[in-house]
Amino acid sequence: MSTIDNMTSTRARTGVGTARLAGAGLLILLGGFALLGPLVISSDPSAQDLGASLAPIGGDYLLGADHYGRSLLARLAHGARLSFGMAFLTMLAAAVPGILLGLAAAWKGGWAERMLEFVATVVLALPGLMLVLLLLAFSPGDYGPLFLGLSLTLWVEFYRLTKATTRTVLAQPHIEAARMLGFGSRYILVHYVLPVIGPMIATLSAFAMATAIIAVSTLSAISVGLQPPTPELGSMIVELLPYFAEAPVHVLLPAVLIFLLVLGLQLLAQGDRA
Amino acid sequence: MKNFLVARLLQAGIVSVAVGALCFILMRVLPGDAAMRIAAGRYGPDARIADAAEKVRLELGLDRPIAMQFLEWLGSLARFDLGHSLVTGRAVAHELQVQLGASVWLAAAALVLSLLIGPIVGLFGGLKPGGAADRLGLMGAVIFRAIPPFVLGLILMLVFSRQLGWLPPAGFGSPREILLPALTLALGLAAMSSRVTRNAVAAVAQAPYFAFARYKGLSEPIVVRRHGLRNAAIPVVSYLGLQAIYLIEGVVVVESLFAYPGIGHALVHAIVERDIPMVQGTALMMGLMFVAIGAAVDLLTLWLDPRTGKTV
Amino acid sequence: MRMMKALFLTLTLGAPISVSSACAETLKVAGPWEIAGIEPAQTGYVFSRLQVAETLVTTDKQGTLAPGLAKRWTVSDDGLNWSFALRDNAVFHDGTKVTAEAAVASLRRTLGGVGVLAQAPIAEIAGEGGEIRIKLHKPFSALPAYLVHFSTIILAPSSFDGAGKITGIVGSGPYQVKTLTPPARLELEGSGRWWGGEPGISEVSYLAVGQGETRALMAESGEADLVFSMLPVSVDRLKANPKLDVQIATIPRTRILKVNAASPFFDQIEERQAISAAIDRVGITKVILRNADLAATQLFPPAMKGWNIARVEPLTQDVEKAKALLAAAGWTPGRDGILEKDGKRFSVTMLTYSSWPELPPLATALQAQLRRVGINVKVSVGNSSEIPARHKDGTLEMGLISRLYSIVPDPVGTLLQDYGPGGSDWGATGWDNKEMQAVVEKLAATSDASVRAPLQTQAVEILQQELPSIPVTWSELAIVSSKRITGVAVDPLEVNYGLSSIRWVK
Repeated sequence: MSTIDNMTSTRARTGVGTARLAGAGLLILLGGFALLGPLVISSDPSAQDLGASLAPIGGDYLLGADHYGRSLLARLAHGARLSFGMAFLTMLAAAVPGILLGLAAAWKGGWAERMLEFVATVVLALPGLMLVLLLLAFSPGDYGPLFLGLSLTLWVEFYRLTKATTRTVLAQPHIEAARMLGFGSRYILVHYVLPVIGPMIATLSAFAMATAIIAVSTLSAISVGLQPPTPELGSMIVELLPYFAEAPVHVLLPAVLIFLLVLGLQLLAQGDRA
Repeated sequence: MKNFLVARLLQAGIVSVAVGALCFILMRVLPGDAAMRIAAGRYGPDARIADAAEKVRLELGLDRPIAMQFLEWLGSLARFDLGHSLVTGRAVAHELQVQLGASVWLAAAALVLSLLIGPIVGLFGGLKPGGAADRLGLMGAVIFRAIPPFVLGLILMLVFSRQLGWLPPAGFGSPREILLPALTLALGLAAMSSRVTRNAVAAVAQAPYFAFARYKGLSEPIVVRRHGLRNAAIPVVSYLGLQAIYLIEGVVVVESLFAYPGIGHALVHAIVERDIPMVQGTALMMGLMFVAIGAAVDLLTLWLDPRTGKTV
Repeated sequence: MRMMKALFLTLTLGAPISVSSACAETLKVAGPWEIAGIEPAQTGYVFSRLQVAETLVTTDKQGTLAPGLAKRWTVSDDGLNWSFALRDNAVFHDGTKVTAEAAVASLRRTLGGVGVLAQAPIAEIAGEGGEIRIKLHKPFSALPAYLVHFSTIILAPSSFDGAGKITGIVGSGPYQVKTLTPPARLELEGSGRWWGGEPGISEVSYLAVGQGETRALMAESGEADLVFSMLPVSVDRLKANPKLDVQIATIPRTRILKVNAASPFFDQIEERQAISAAIDRVGITKVILRNADLAATQLFPPAMKGWNIARVEPLTQDVEKAKALLAAAGWTPGRDGILEKDGKRFSVTMLTYSSWPELPPLATALQAQLRRVGINVKVSVGNSSEIPARHKDGTLEMGLISRLYSIVPDPVGTLLQDYGPGGSDWGATGWDNKEMQAVVEKLAATSDASVRAPLQTQAVEILQQELPSIPVTWSELAIVSSKRITGVAVDPLEVNYGLSSIRWVK
């Protein structure tokens, strides 16, 4: 049985090595842009020059200027830092409790699981949008409630996926056999459960980060997100959207940055599969 | 099976009270003067809001003790009465029927469209990980997942309404009008479900029992049907349940972009305008719907993999 | 893919059957206003603009008062007793005649509710034999103008239930409500009973579309024949479209910075003048509103005859002057460039709201411009009620608002509230100017144009000098219509969109 396992996993590993590398490379590049960009680019992301409204790309402004004549390069760098940081923190705050609770529920079952399941159901039954909106209403425009609201809605997803998959794995005959043979929980977790939930969690984490990035931008679109002049990628799209007929590339720039961020995350998640 | 239903009904009851109480408390501890918010919601930003707020306060009795107001809500809930909206004055049940109903139709249309796209793309990708179908599927998924819904909606509008003139950019009531918003949601959903399906299928395709079935000499379609689909469907079904939930609430931006009078839109207004009965009613109905979806997902999982039944 | 195509085809082919039968002669209108409730004080403007219900008095296209349901009105010599004579041939949609009794019942209900009528000094409303008599506590020249307001629409007794709660809109206009699906759709049909004759197009469908971009696309795709309130940025694109007509009118609405003149930041006149001089109105209007003529050089736009005074010194940008004024008021630059006085930084919160989509972008631009003279502004986009709430408890520092001066067609009504003692929600905060109050009181008491003109000039001069609210930009209303229809006219006061005179081009 173990030979079959080895065979299939080696075959898969070679197929995705390049994708994983590409994803990691892309994320390193974007991370570098997000971390170093704001330090290297001297212009203030909120300094306006109405005379340079919608300045074209390549002139005085390397990546052009938005309708207020603010440097898009500087705004993109600050926006990347914000989106990256926020998405990462949100994902972490959702994934860690979600996975731990999911494993606990699948392992212990019974009473503990029922309690957790009830909490998850109540949280899930609360519309996530409402939770975020209600928390945001406490202190509009702040990062705190936005971050809290998003992680509160996202952890259930990690919990449920971990629980459902782990339970399926544990119910498989060869694992039941392993448990009966006296292999420790730790051994089963590392050798049987993690390899199965790992790729799913990786995909889910990538999606969770993408969801966080897009959720923040979506909230900007219904004007309950962060306050101006915060250079948030989503709100940059929303602000520039009315100008799409005149400066389509300007609108696309923040969208492309979001796209690249998510692409990097996805490619990396692909590589973790085997 | 009977126990299962009873447990679920009990759960629904507890969840609805918990959700209602939570909403009530949150709404009441929010900063800001509720009467002012309600007045602004009713009479618009040109009115003399401070004067109107005094009348609103008297009319609605907002100064009464909070506990009393909550007990009243519970009392009318027991009579299946969700109260009246503080802003529009209509019965909350009626508002929900119109707006939640509209959203459910939109969500259902989106789910159907996404099911026609996502799992099929995922299945082909998962059977040959790294193949052309997988790569194409990944590309599509990343693109549609990475575009914020309002941008995607706008692009669809530009293509289908402005360039081609096939579909109206806004409105509701006929299939013509539901198609663009539903497609906007469906593409995002399909992007997610195709990847989850693909990974699940790929995992199953690598699982020992799947390989064993192949060694037994079964033909590829039979292997996929007997051993692949059923096992791969478990995480997909569990994921679909979550998707259905996200859909109902994730519609807000799409609704506002396409001028579709759904619940996401109503909820944003209700929270901003402190329309407590409306928020409670919405949360309650959505909560019950989510419990129902959860039950459906569990039933499906049970059917797909009877072994999990032990702990249900 | 094939399945998707099949589904697409079934849905799209199936749909036209239901749509085409009705849409052949339905006038499709789109606008930004949602129909949240049907209480006239809340959404009466929708029914007034779409000609479902009528008011006693209305306005013509120049904005002067004109007969509505009342064919004429008179006032007694002491200015206390007004009399409005009803049209003889006006009929409600339920077939009953518009009698003085019905109109009085409708107006009394309005008087007891929230709305402008409650702010007029009305002692009693009575009527019989086709005449409505309104008795006042004190002379009030603007009364007919108050009766233009949408909350005073005259509804038939069958619009209300026994408890006085509104159950439907039974008005007297050329259109009656066919179906209403709140908050987004309203279907109208010709009532066949209007005193003004039959409307040119008898079926009208209104759709509330909140997003400006979507409204523009509705017009471009031909899904709407008439679209109101276009975003400034899309106007040029729409003008270039050969299938569309674009009409623009200046409306009596000004975006102003409401400052708290009782706070340590804005208590000196120099500080308020400095803020005004720091603002680049031309730049803002060019970039955000796409029309530099909208830069508000004084409070009222040129279209408001008698209220836009040519000889007052225009408000313009002068950063050096702004800095000098702030220095004169005792503010000196701190280490980080932000002004300080007595150890207090010039750091304020600017509240604004997104009910008007242009306000947050304007606030963003103002924030950057004020930063240049050393003022740190934190923009907070919230709910429109926060400004009145913070005005009331005195914690407001600065608010960017959009103020309509034709809530009643006579701006005196608005000035009375805004610059009276204690200011108001959308007027002055912490600014108590006895001279201004006296001028407005005098204006309210007389309807003699020759007496009013110098008083109006004086009021504008005081506001220009004292700047309790700092004008930023004026506003315009853009309407797009398909070339399939003719007879579209813009009503700058937005009382009545005149749908009944629109016709299909033959």
